[in-house]
Amino acid sequence: MRIKFNAKFISAIVVGVILAFVINKNWGGATFLSAKNLSTFLVVGIALGGIYAITAGGLVVTYATTGIFNFAHAAIGCFLAFVYWQLSVKYHIPVLIAMAITLLVIAPAIGFLLDKVLMRRLRDASLVVQLMATVGLMLTFMGITLTVWSPKTARTLDHFYEQSKGVQIGSVIATWHRIITVVIALLVAVVLRWLLYRTRLGISMRAVVDSRSLAGLTGAKPSIISGSSWALGCMTAGLAGILIAPETGLVVENLALIIIVAAAAAAIAQLKSIPMAFVGGLIIGLSTSFSSTFLKFGTDWSYAGDAIPCIILFIALLFLPQARLETGKVRLTKRTERLTKPWEAGLGGFSMVLIVGLWANGWIPWFSGTNWGERSAVWLGRGAGFLVFGLIMLSLIPLIGWAGQVSFANYAIAGIGAVLFTHFGGQNGNPIGIVFVMLVCAPLGLAIALPALRLKGLYLALATMAFAEFTDKVIVRHPNMLNPSNSGVLYKPLHLFGVTISTDTADRKAFVMFLIITFALLFFMLEMLRRSRWARRWIAMSDSPAASATIGVNLTTSKMTVFMLSGAMAGFAGCMLGLQNGALRVDSFPMFAGLPIVLLLAVQGVRYPVAAFMGALGLASFPAITELLGNPSWLTQLALIGPGIAAIAMAYRPEGAVFYSGRDLAGILPWRKDAREEKALFIAKERAENIEKDEINDMGLSRAFTEDKVAQLDRVLSITDAVDETKMVNTGGQS
Amino acid sequence: MTTILETQDVVVRFGVLQAVSKASIKVETGQVTGLIGPNGAGKTTCFNVITGLQEATSGKVMFDGKDITNKSPFKRARMGISRTFQKLEVFGSLSARENILVAAEQRRAWDKSGFDPTAVCDEILESTGLTSVSEFMVGTLPTGTARLVELARALASNPKVLLLDEPSSGLNEEETEGMARLLRRLVAQGLAVLLVEHDMSFVMGTCEYIHVLDFGSIIATGTPLEIQANPHVQAAYLGTETVEEAS
Ligand SMILES: Nc1ncnc2c1ncn2[C@@H]1O[C@H](COP(=O)(O)OP(=O)(O)OP(=O)(O)O)[C@@H](O)[C@H]1O
Ligand SMILES: [Mg+2]
Repeated sequence: MRIKFNAKFISAIVVGVILAFVINKNWGGATFLSAKNLSTFLVVGIALGGIYAITAGGLVVTYATTGIFNFAHAAIGCFLAFVYWQLSVKYHIPVLIAMAITLLVIAPAIGFLLDKVLMRRLRDASLVVQLMATVGLMLTFMGITLTVWSPKTARTLDHFYEQSKGVQIGSVIATWHRIITVVIALLVAVVLRWLLYRTRLGISMRAVVDSRSLAGLTGAKPSIISGSSWALGCMTAGLAGILIAPETGLVVENLALIIIVAAAAAAIAQLKSIPMAFVGGLIIGLSTSFSSTFLKFGTDWSYAGDAIPCIILFIALLFLPQARLETGKVRLTKRTERLTKPWEAGLGGFSMVLIVGLWANGWIPWFSGTNWGERSAVWLGRGAGFLVFGLIMLSLIPLIGWAGQVSFANYAIAGIGAVLFTHFGGQNGNPIGIVFVMLVCAPLGLAIALPALRLKGLYLALATMAFAEFTDKVIVRHPNMLNPSNSGVLYKPLHLFGVTISTDTADRKAFVMFLIITFALLFFMLEMLRRSRWARRWIAMSDSPAASATIGVNLTTSKMTVFMLSGAMAGFAGCMLGLQNGALRVDSFPMFAGLPIVLLLAVQGVRYPVAAFMGALGLASFPAITELLGNPSWLTQLALIGPGIAAIAMAYRPEGAVFYSGRDLAGILPWRKDAREEKALFIAKERAENIEKDEINDMGLSRAFTEDKVAQLDRVLSITDAVDETKMVNTGGQS
Repeated sequence: MTTILETQDVVVRFGVLQAVSKASIKVETGQVTGLIGPNGAGKTTCFNVITGLQEATSGKVMFDGKDITNKSPFKRARMGISRTFQKLEVFGSLSARENILVAAEQRRAWDKSGFDPTAVCDEILESTGLTSVSEFMVGTLPTGTARLVELARALASNPKVLLLDEPSSGLNEEETEGMARLLRRLVAQGLAVLLVEHDMSFVMGTCEYIHVLDFGSIIATGTPLEIQANPHVQAAYLGTETVEEAS
């Protein structure tokens, strides 16, 4: 106990000192104790915090009642804000009516629909599938919004009562918009509290997370309960979107990025306490306002203000209590597969080199009309790009596929690797630089994961997403990392094993060949690693952390090794990424750009190294199809929507395309009778399970809802505020 | 006969629910100790406290004369405590063979006797009768077989104490007898076993000594014969209201 307390105590001091240092260093010169500054800080901060609180509260409600963390929360809010714009600005529908239509009709409809087609299926899915599907949903909503409302036209939402002056508070004017925002936030808090603690539906909603049968006691139908929580989630998301859009502008990325804010507040709330989610939202709003009122970051850190939510998320993670090793949560797979033999892996790697080699030399027909034996430089450049993304995917296989650690940071790590490579080796064509970058990226991968290592897997996903955002906003924008004025080619061609590789037209074919050969070698290495004790331990750890610990696995070091391996691989991919791009810009690595890479890999099957190759082919299919159809402009949006929808489909096909197609292909081979039998068995099991699920959903549970049932629910949910301490006796469970 | 594992006045509280109240349990080497009690009595929670998966609110856990109350689960495993779970905790996406191998390989972290994990694995597969299914992914195996895999995995760490949480559930009668024989053989080799079980004939036939847990407290300890004759135990199991009278 004492050690834990000390660790927290020390963290608190360290964080405090760093914050004090940063604040002191970047103090803008404004007087803190001036009435004007203080009231600006508070008025802006509380209004902003109110909006954040609404969205975070809604996110926590859905998580606490469904067990699914909705990465699409803010993207849905963004979509609804655009819908509201369309109604109120475009169609001139009065504000209140437009709002009612958006929030009371469309938002709940989206919620119920999501519950029906997606979320209910995710409830029993693995964390990986849950995360991929909701991140996919996020990209889908973003893609739809971008397609319907082209970002080329600027749109604005007016503040409420834009013309009116507002109210004088101290020496600042609180606009009506801000006052209304705060009032609405308070109302939402009261309504949520009332709904969840005082209504039958709400109590059922709280009960379902822990036990579905328990929810039955309250007499509500499970499908109504979960549908209602999604409806509630969408309504809060939409409300926050509409309130904040006048401040940030109707820009899809900005609105969708609020997910980081909501996640940080949710982490402060430990994903369960709605009041704390509101407090968290307020803290973030106030911090942001504090920074914009009092701090003035130098040009080196000009975007640091945008990273405040990421930093708060990281700090919150430091102070979360350690996760218990849960038991009884093992998901038994229905997959049947065997280990790949070395010769099979070798053959696979060789085939990859062969296919790409034939393609690069123009011996495979392709859509664009180049001659036989030729491949256009444009396509060779793209090919190199897809292979680099394939390398990043490869780096995720041990991490996500085997160890079950979902990370969205590897594209950012690759980005940092690419930037580092401009300083070490890349600028003079020295291959040793690659080794150096890998040696830096390995511990970097570990460092990102460190605050989340002792927490549940979901927090790691949040932390890595926040890190990706932090990388984009702060790390690569520092002039010592990437000098914005230095826009030319940053890398010299690399001489390796007698070939010259670079993005120059003449070197591109060699580059593609180099990439596919290293890709194949890494593929082979991973397949061999899968047969080793390392991979066995990682998979064991992911299948059952509790059981792994009880056979003596040190989960922390075991996770650390896989993060380092993955980081090093991402670093290598990063060098290649830089080399392939030739030039980098400070905005080359937005957080959202990394997501489709993870999703496409997951769709292919995150456990199988070959999926990285298939994922790269999948990426190649987007421009290929676009070109085939004559470059229609509507298709470009598919780049965002495509991976999103594919990832959503994982709710229905969780094992990944490689698994299903591998099984089906094997079934075609005449001598693989076993494969056909296994497939029949698998399908039968899956069907039986689905029937069971539907039965549970259709159970018309109708037992009476009495005071003592509520008390029992409260006890099981560990809600102590209503319970007298003196009643603290063993009740012997549900006996 | 020496006491290898002991809990002293262990208390576990979940919110307002006291799942274990001052439970003291002793496990001796070379015999099977039973831990029985009605549903929700706190047996699994006791196992979790012993293996470190659950922090005790108060109380101590002693192993081999050392206080291990604050040791993390993996360190306890390395000292020689191994267990199975009431609800399957197999490594579902590894084959049966790999499930055992991963434990045998892990054992090298503390057992420097230079054994060969593959050989150990094959031996255990053989002795638990799992050789024929060794290449199947455990997730696809029937529950009874998966339970055996879990037991085999626990044995692969070469423990000094083995905790079994309802090992006979999901097994048929013949398999249960096989399990009993296996346990006898293991204790004969000097292993200590703590057994949680609902199958009374299995418990009474296998255990030398039994602790009875009810509502989180130990209400009786003794040999199977003493336990069977104990009125508290009968009251707890029959759920009658006669506890007061009986005492
Ligand atoms: N993590 C937990 N949080 C809250 N309550 C818990 C938790 N784990 C167990 N309990 C409660 O503690 C009590 C004891 O549970 P435990 O699983 O130890 O009983 P058991 O004796 O193993 O029962 P069974 O024979 O059904 O397996 C039960 O009332 C249970 O609901
Ligand atoms: Mg139990």
